[in-house]
Amino acid sequence: MRSMLGTTAVLAAFAFAAMPASAQDFSKGSQAANWNLLGEEKARFSGKVVDILCELTGDCAENCGGGTRQLGILRTKDDALVPALKNSQPLFNGAIPDLLPYCGQMVEVDGLLIGDESAKGAKFYQIQLIRREGEADFQKTDLWTKAWDKEHPDLAGKKGDWYRKDPVIAKHIEAQGYLGLGKEADEKFIKENY
Amino acid sequence: MTIQRTLRSAAFAIGAMLATAMPALAATEQKPIKITGEVIDTWCYFSGVMGSQDAVLGSAHHTCALWCAAGGIPVGVRADDGTVYLVLKLSGSAPLANKDTLLDLQSDRVTVNGMHYVRDGVNYLVVEKVISNEGIVNLTHEDFGVVPPFAIPEPAKTEETK
Repeated sequence: MRSMLGTTAVLAAFAFAAMPASAQDFSKGSQAANWNLLGEEKARFSGKVVDILCELTGDCAENCGGGTRQLGILRTKDDALVPALKNSQPLFNGAIPDLLPYCGQMVEVDGLLIGDESAKGAKFYQIQLIRREGEADFQKTDLWTKAWDKEHPDLAGKKGDWYRKDPVIAKHIEAQGYLGLGKEADEKFIKENY
Repeated sequence: MTIQRTLRSAAFAIGAMLATAMPALAATEQKPIKITGEVIDTWCYFSGVMGSQDAVLGSAHHTCALWCAAGGIPVGVRADDGTVYLVLKLSGSAPLANKDTLLDLQSDRVTVNGMHYVRDGVNYLVVEKVISNEGIVNLTHEDFGVVPPFAIPEPAKTEETK
């Protein structure tokens, strides 16, 4: 009788761990802001910051690639690898500068799991807050623009958002146009729509 | 006796559920792959932040795709069957190690080969080689304009347009 109870408990624990990410509820204690995104679920959890390429393939680099590689969280509760697509800024930028200081370290994160899992088979993460395990205060994930300003000291103080000032983006728009189809296509579109 | 039977049934049910769910726990799957599809911005595509998924493909979303790729958001290849592969490496380099190359591919229809990895339902791709590039062939601006609408700055008013 006792051994059967134990077996049932162990199986139940394994079954919980095997549940798909979305079937588990990580919303408890979350302070994440709503963004009204597709399949949005608040999610606060603990895990290790990892270089996804290293985690999957064993092709590892010093300091998680130093900002050149995509990073994710290896979630403690179910060992799921959660790709971090976005930070908290509504500025067309990702979460690498916010995760990089914690490469290989245990953190607690708070944010939104997004995406239509029924159609695409997975959820992705927008990190809004992060803290090293054991630290008292969360940090807002807004380091991207600070890192960009540091890389572009001559442009940082100028008026406008980073994506309007970024020299690599500007070079591509100059060469291919806003539609990517050349200047002529842009001119035709602007004439018809503005 | 009744309790024992109930526990036995519960153990059986959980065991069956576990067996069904086991693929989720499986180690990373990997295999060589060749894909033809569009290079996309994964955040706008998966989050629906800009509206429908069709509107965040092709020429309508090209400028935003440049912004997001340069901003470090993972780039994906959306294959013709709708599967999206997150790009982890591009022709031997980390994606953000050469932004010029990464931005060159945005919104283009490409054929690539490399290694495909699946982990927790997410498809990842290490691109070994871009075999061919047809450029932007998905002319979504004809249906959606530009997405977001401010992607093209408002042209300065001239005497003619005032």
